[in-house]
Amino acid sequence: MNDREFIVGSIVLTVAFLLYWFMGHPHFVEERILQFSLVIIFSGTLIFFTRKAKRGEEIFLRNIPGLKAVEEAVGRSTEMGKPVLFVPGIQDMDQVETVAGVIVLGHVSKMTARYETPLNVPVSRAIVMKAAREACKESYLIEGHPDMFHDDMVHYVTDEQFAYAAGVNGIMVREKPAACIYMGKFYAESLILAETGNSIGAIQIAGTASQAQIPFFVTACDYTLIGEEFFAASAYLSEKPELIGGVKGQDMIKMGIVIFILFGVILRLMFDAGFLNFNIIQFLSQK
Amino acid sequence: MIWKRQIPILIVGVIGFVTLFANFTTLHGFKSFVNDDATQWFDILASFAIWLGGLNLLKLQSQKILKKQEGWEYSVFAVIGLIFALVAGFVIKGEPAVEWGTHVTAKGTLFKWMFTYMVAPMQATMFALLAFYVASASYRAFRIRNFEATLLLVSGIIIMIGRVPLGSNISSWFCMYLLVLIAGVTVNSIFKNKQYTAISVASGLILVTVSGFIMGWPLDQPGIFYLPYLQEWIYKFPNVAGARSIMIGIGLGIFSTSVRYILGIEKSYIGE
Repeated sequence: MNDREFIVGSIVLTVAFLLYWFMGHPHFVEERILQFSLVIIFSGTLIFFTRKAKRGEEIFLRNIPGLKAVEEAVGRSTEMGKPVLFVPGIQDMDQVETVAGVIVLGHVSKMTARYETPLNVPVSRAIVMKAAREACKESYLIEGHPDMFHDDMVHYVTDEQFAYAAGVNGIMVREKPAACIYMGKFYAESLILAETGNSIGAIQIAGTASQAQIPFFVTACDYTLIGEEFFAASAYLSEKPELIGGVKGQDMIKMGIVIFILFGVILRLMFDAGFLNFNIIQFLSQK
Repeated sequence: MIWKRQIPILIVGVIGFVTLFANFTTLHGFKSFVNDDATQWFDILASFAIWLGGLNLLKLQSQKILKKQEGWEYSVFAVIGLIFALVAGFVIKGEPAVEWGTHVTAKGTLFKWMFTYMVAPMQATMFALLAFYVASASYRAFRIRNFEATLLLVSGIIIMIGRVPLGSNISSWFCMYLLVLIAGVTVNSIFKNKQYTAISVASGLILVTVSGFIMGWPLDQPGIFYLPYLQEWIYKFPNVAGARSIMIGIGLGIFSTSVRYILGIEKSYIGE
C-alpha cells in the first residue's frame, strides 16, 4: 500500500460521505447502503490495482488457453488461406456482452490485418454493425493496412434469431472459414452455430456470459471463455498494464467474496445452532 | 481528434455514472432518465440504424446476383423476401378495415399472413434442427475419454432417466445390483484376477440381497440409489454450486468491465 494519492483520495471521499450520511443523507435510498458500499469498495479495489499496474509493478495473471488460441486460430486461417469468421452474438449494444465482443473483435481484426487474412463479421443488429465496423477500421488503420479494410467485411444479416443462425450457417458451409470465433450474447442458436462450425473442421473459440449456452460451447468448440474470462479477454489481448491491473483487482475481489462466503456460512451455522442472534441471510436480502 | 476520443469517453463516463447512481438516489429526474429517456433514445437510434442494416443487406445480396457469385440464387430469395416484407409492411395491408400499424399483428393482413405462413415455419424449422445438434453434441460430450467425461456421462444418464416416468419405476435395488456388477468390472480391470472379481461380485450380491430381505425391498429406499431422488440432488446441489460460482464470476466481470468504461480505463471501443 504505497499509493499515497489513492489512500488520501479514499480517506477524503470516505469522510465526505460520512459527513453527508450524518447530515441526514438527503435523496439517498437508505436501504441500499450495503449495495452502495460494495460498489464503492469493489471500484476502489479495481482502481487500486489499475494504478499499481500503471506504475509498472509486476502483475501475475494466470494463463487462459482460449485467449492464447485466438492468435493461433488467426495464424491457422492465414496458413490455409481461408477467412476468419467472427460472430458478435445476437444482441444489441445495450448488452455489456456485445460491447465486450466488439472489443475482442477489435483485437482479432488487428491480428487479421497483421497477417493479411480475410475477416468476415456477420451481425444481427444494425448498431452493432456500425460499432464493429468502426472497431475493425481503427484496427486496420493502426496496423498500417487501411487499404485492406472494406465496409462489407462487417455486414448485416437479420435481426431474427434463427434467420441469423441460418444465414451464418450458410456462410460457414459456403466459405468454410478456418477459424470461427463466437464472442457475445447468445441464446439457442449457439449450438446450431458451433456444431456447424465443428462440422466444417474450423478451429472454434467461444466466449459468452450466457450461462445456459456455456455447456453447448464447451461441447462443440475447441476453447471456451467462461464468464469472467470473456470480460477479461480485452485486457489479456491488449496487454495494457492498466487493463491487466483491473483483471487482477477482479481476482482479488473474487478472493474476498470466497472468504466472505465462508464467513457467512459459519455465521449462518452459528445462527442455526442458536449461538448467535444475527441472521446474515436476512441482513443480505434486505433491499 | 477531440470528437473521436475525448467526447465519446466523456459521454460513456457521464451516462454510465448517472445510470449507476440512479439506483441509489430518490431524485426522480435520474430515475426517469435511466428508465425512460435513455431507453427511448436507444430505440430511436436503433430505428434509424435498421435502415442502414437493410440497405447493407440489399447492397451485398444485389452485388452477389449481379456478379453471379457462388450461391447467387439464394441471394435472389433474400432480395425478393426483403422487398416483399417492405411491401407488406408499408404498401399493401391486404385488409382495408385494419388500421396501419396494427396491421402487423391483425388477422387477415398480408404482413400477418407472411409471418404466420412463412417466417414462423422457417424459424420453427431452424429451431427443430437443434434436436439433431443436441444429439451430436451429446455424443461428443459423453464419449468416455477421461474421468471428467465419465462423470458427465453418468450424471447425464441419471438426470435423463430420473426425470422421466420410467425412472421412478426403477427400484433402488436394481441400481444397487448394477453398481455391484460395475464394481466387479472395476476390480477385474485393476487386479486382473478372476478370484478377486468373483469374490467381490458374490459378496456384493449377497450383501444387497440380504439387505433387501431385511428392509422389505422398498422401491425408493435407500434413497441414495433411487434415481428420481439422486437426480434431484445432482440438479439442486452440485449443479447449482457450479452455476452460482460461474454467475459470481460473470457478475464480477460485468461489474469490472462497466467500471473500466465509466472511469475511461477501457478505451478499446474507440480504437485505442
